[in-house]
Amino acid sequence: MNRALGLTGLILALGGSLLAISVILTGLKRSRPELMRMGRAYSFVVLLGATMAVAAMERAFIQRDYTLKYVAEHGSSTTPALFNVASMWSALEGSILLWGLILAGYLVVVAHKFRKRLDDSLVAWALITMFSVCVFFFGLMLTAANPFRGNIPIPGFDGPGPNPLLQNHILMAFHPPMLYLGYVGFTVPFAFAIAALVTGRVGEGWLVETRRWTLFAWGFLTAGIILGAWWSYEVLGWGGYWGWDPVENASLLPWLTGTAYLHSVMVQERRGMLRVWNLSLLCATFSLTILGTFLTRSGVVASVHAFSAGSVGPILLGFFALVVAVSVGLIGLRGDQLRSAGHIDSPLSREGAFLANNVVFAALAFVVLLGTVFPLVIEATTGDTLSVGPPYFSRMTMPLGLTLLLLMAIAPVLPWRKASGELLRERLWWPAWTGLAAVLLAVLLGATGVAPLLAFGLGGFAAGSALRQIALATKRLGWRGFVGRANGGMVVHLGVIVIGVALAASMSFMSQGEFTLKEGETARVAGHTLQFLGSRTVDQPNRVELVARIKVDGEQVYEPKLNRYRQSGQTIPTPSVKASLRDDIMMSITTAPSESDPSLGLRVIVQPMVTWLWIGGLIMVIGTVLSLFPGRRRNPLDAVSAAAPIEQVSA
Amino acid sequence: MNKRHTQRQKWWWWSLMGVILVVLLASAAGTSPTEGNSDDRLFAIAAQIKCVQCVGESVAGSAAPIAIQFRSEIASQMKQGRTNDEILNFFADRYEGVLLTPPSTGVGSLVWVIPVIAIAGAALLLAESLRVRRSRGPVQQPSPEDEALVEVALEARHSEPSVTSTDTTDDS
Repeated sequence: MNRALGLTGLILALGGSLLAISVILTGLKRSRPELMRMGRAYSFVVLLGATMAVAAMERAFIQRDYTLKYVAEHGSSTTPALFNVASMWSALEGSILLWGLILAGYLVVVAHKFRKRLDDSLVAWALITMFSVCVFFFGLMLTAANPFRGNIPIPGFDGPGPNPLLQNHILMAFHPPMLYLGYVGFTVPFAFAIAALVTGRVGEGWLVETRRWTLFAWGFLTAGIILGAWWSYEVLGWGGYWGWDPVENASLLPWLTGTAYLHSVMVQERRGMLRVWNLSLLCATFSLTILGTFLTRSGVVASVHAFSAGSVGPILLGFFALVVAVSVGLIGLRGDQLRSAGHIDSPLSREGAFLANNVVFAALAFVVLLGTVFPLVIEATTGDTLSVGPPYFSRMTMPLGLTLLLLMAIAPVLPWRKASGELLRERLWWPAWTGLAAVLLAVLLGATGVAPLLAFGLGGFAAGSALRQIALATKRLGWRGFVGRANGGMVVHLGVIVIGVALAASMSFMSQGEFTLKEGETARVAGHTLQFLGSRTVDQPNRVELVARIKVDGEQVYEPKLNRYRQSGQTIPTPSVKASLRDDIMMSITTAPSESDPSLGLRVIVQPMVTWLWIGGLIMVIGTVLSLFPGRRRNPLDAVSAAAPIEQVSA
Repeated sequence: MNKRHTQRQKWWWWSLMGVILVVLLASAAGTSPTEGNSDDRLFAIAAQIKCVQCVGESVAGSAAPIAIQFRSEIASQMKQGRTNDEILNFFADRYEGVLLTPPSTGVGSLVWVIPVIAIAGAALLLAESLRVRRSRGPVQQPSPEDEALVEVALEARHSEPSVTSTDTTDDS
């Protein structure tokens, strides 16, 4: 029943997408607008199909329908309800199903939003692109990554449940959907970029249409990445929130190119420049989401998240190659129209700073991509095994990160076209003192090391600049000084700065220890005392928990656990964290007390400012929301210094 | 520009800021522990070694038995007074690809070199293209009709009550 329902849904979605493409194409070719307008109806068919498939899968999980192979492999009668629902995206096929649902959702929203302009060739081509992406994903689900493969369970069979690590924390229910909302959301600007290239309407029209969509997707990707970091911090128990794991890198790559685009797009809007670059960034962002899926879902790299699966890899790689080939081909084809009339007058200008920002983001993306694929390339060519791990990424990204902080300090105060030294000295006066004060404060608090101090100083400098912009805007516009892209963007900057400072502090000033404690004994780390009071075991349906009671600093009692899962036999610790604005104390059990040895193995990690990472993430999301609201309308007669000819956009 | 503002233009204020910064940085330059038996040093070394039986974890991060065994080996070598490099080489000689830091020699060192060359190359190309474009000068000169249009638009703008902003060049 579930299987039939799910397969029907997938076929409906695939068929709807294929039909939509042919109908819209026919409409375009024969100039019949009524055919082009049918795209909206077909988008609903695709969403209906995707919803049916997801509903069937969830129903199968809830009913523990082991006639589905996917449920038999990842479901279990003992999984708690919330994690049971989240089990759908705990492995390859189900996560592609989630991808399909979100894609169909975006498709419907686009078709609905542009319902009055469906006969406009730009919108038609954007829809064709989106339907084509749907064809790929629903096609994939009906072939190599079919979530509805059948299974004949033996009587009394019970599944193993999802990977124990994935049923350990509530964030598991939110992090993947958020991330996918971001990932998949980049399909929309990509579709419009392709449409602009196909129709030859490569002016600024398409770009203004997709501005909010990009920001929306970017906001979700940001939130998804930060929730992922939070999840690994809370669950993995080694005090880390970012391991430069290939899957984490795969989510960071489109974020980096997407962030670069959000900045460089302003240069195009204002001055009509960087057209090829912006199109390339969007195409790169979209293709990187596919490449990331390939890297992590095909089993070519080992990672906590990597679900290995047979023929999915080559198909994803093929689709990636197709996306890149089409993008590069179209950009080459429209090369003449993409040349812009404007030029950058001075590197010391707003557009110059955006350009520098783009160089740094591109460099970051390049380093992350290179580090992720380098071991594969070396192994394929020379047969040698080598690892490119966190030490490499930290060393390479640190100078780039500091450069970004410096740019964040200077760029917001720069005017368009050209700035004078005099103007900079005037506007950077207070921000510079803020930066210096931050360094002084850090030194007084006992911070050492040039790199973290530079991070604090540049963070203070950049925060000063952002606050100056917000202060000026609110003085001029009242509360509206917080909304709109420029002002919301400054709030996002503040969030980034908070995260940058928290990263520098937590990585540079971490202290840790491993202890063997008998009942009543006390361990000391970084000025904190931890007393082991005793332990007990708790039986849960899916696992046995060993709970230790640790009194921290003579006050509250914290309870780290060690869980043994009945089905898989795996032992997974659940750390306990005493979080505060100053520092976090993470306690994780390494060995449980036994009858032969009654002492507890305890790992303790003290890191300053970790909580500020999550606060910074929240500020970034708030800033993104503020940016989505319409800002102050610029008087159309104000000089915009646009040198490029204005493209005719049919309304 | 009032008197307070002109202070900001004085070079000595900015030099003073620079001097204070350098003094602060120099006074607080720290190093990571390279000797002694502290847990911090132990985990700093362990973080550079891959846990060979885990997926995507370092010896510092993993709770696997092999990682615990590696950590006790590091601890005992630290007690013997061996340097960080000696300890890392000990593991590198026994397990292939166990160091998380790619090598600085051989084909593996390309991962360090390529980004530096690529970034420097991109920056040079960009600087060059900016220079070339600038030297070409403005592409179009406004025609008399354009200027007339601007004239009309400006007049219309000035005749209506306009909102003056305090920092007009600042908006974006």
